[in-house]
Amino acid sequence: MPRPHSHLDIGLARDLTLPHLDSAYNLARWLMGSPQDASDAVHTAFLRAARYVHTYAGGNARAWWLSIVRNCCLAILSARRTHDVSLDALEADAEDLLATEADAPEEQLHLAQSAALVMDELGRLPAEFREVLVLREIEDLPYREIAEVLGVPIGTVMSRLARARQMMRKALARGTPHEM
Amino acid sequence: MKCDAARQQLASYLDGELDRAAVDEIEAHLPTCAGCRAELAALEQLRNALRAAPRLRAPAQLRRRLAQMDELPRLGAPAHGAWRAGWWAMAASLLLGLALGAGFMTWRVGAPVAEGHLLARDLLASHLRALAASSPLDVISEDRHTVKPWFAGKIGESPPVIDPKSEEFPLLGGRIDYVGERRTAVVVYGHRKHIIDVYMTPGLTDSDGLQLQGYALTPCRLAGQQAWIVSDIDADSLRRFSGLIGCG
Repeated sequence: MPRPHSHLDIGLARDLTLPHLDSAYNLARWLMGSPQDASDAVHTAFLRAARYVHTYAGGNARAWWLSIVRNCCLAILSARRTHDVSLDALEADAEDLLATEADAPEEQLHLAQSAALVMDELGRLPAEFREVLVLREIEDLPYREIAEVLGVPIGTVMSRLARARQMMRKALARGTPHEM
Repeated sequence: MKCDAARQQLASYLDGELDRAAVDEIEAHLPTCAGCRAELAALEQLRNALRAAPRLRAPAQLRRRLAQMDELPRLGAPAHGAWRAGWWAMAASLLLGLALGAGFMTWRVGAPVAEGHLLARDLLASHLRALAASSPLDVISEDRHTVKPWFAGKIGESPPVIDPKSEEFPLLGGRIDYVGERRTAVVVYGHRKHIIDVYMTPGLTDSDGLQLQGYALTPCRLAGQQAWIVSDIDADSLRRFSGLIGCG
């Protein structure tokens, strides 16, 4: 049973999680699909981290926290029985990007188009391949940490990552036949 | 190095996950093999494409909400403020479900702790927080004549700072930490790669020592004051350490 909570639990949870809030949000965003759902999932994960902060046994705080975030995302998704990322939401992001990133108009357009394509294809990958790519390529986690977050052996991380990369390469080659 | 062996390892090479010897082998092979160079270039291109997409950042509103939260909602408690009511019921049941779920067991769950041991939890929380921080020390000094007055300046009392004068247990320094609601002096010692925290907790009643998540929490009297030693060093070292600082 969790104990009655003191402000210390929240304080400790903050110390452990807030330095990695962007990573948590990014992972949740890619798993959940929409900004609102990602925020909700991270908020829920934070409550859980604070409630069970005494289970943190030292070691890598980022992996501990991201595994909580991931479990929350998966639990919410399975409760809803909707496993597909909303592509509409990803497209909305791409449009935002079009409006804000880069300097020259042409470059802006090109960057936005290719970034939109990459985000689109990443969003289409099955979740187990999407999450491993997000953790490795975007969040830059080492294999060992990814294994901790996913709760699988390092060998599984490597094979899943290889498969995910293959799928992405194939998908991007389809999208831009001239470049890839 | 055989080409197919190298090909297998290119991803790990790119990911920086190979040891020095394997890296050398790959780097010897690459100049001789156009196929592997092309494969590596393709992997790099994919990485660049993924990193060119913006890394999504946590919304400021979410960060603020978590940073300002000062108490946890009771499970099943109704929503208040801007947070949506329907969500809470769902979140609460999820939390409960998650807590019971198998995935949760991946992380070591501490032994159930009696109410009277809330202090122990607070001590352990503080110790773990210090370990997770970039440094467990606010003042770094091997000289007790530096550490002691530093505390006096910070919390208006100077706890006994005892130097065991032992290479095995060097005095590292001190910090101020919260235990329960009060600011507490913590004298920090090292033992090999372990950290030993000695919490000066005046006014707190005596209690049994206990073991939580691999950490020993040991109450003792130190120069007439109540103190707790928190560390993950083995029992023999702990006894030796207690003896050296005169903890009874």
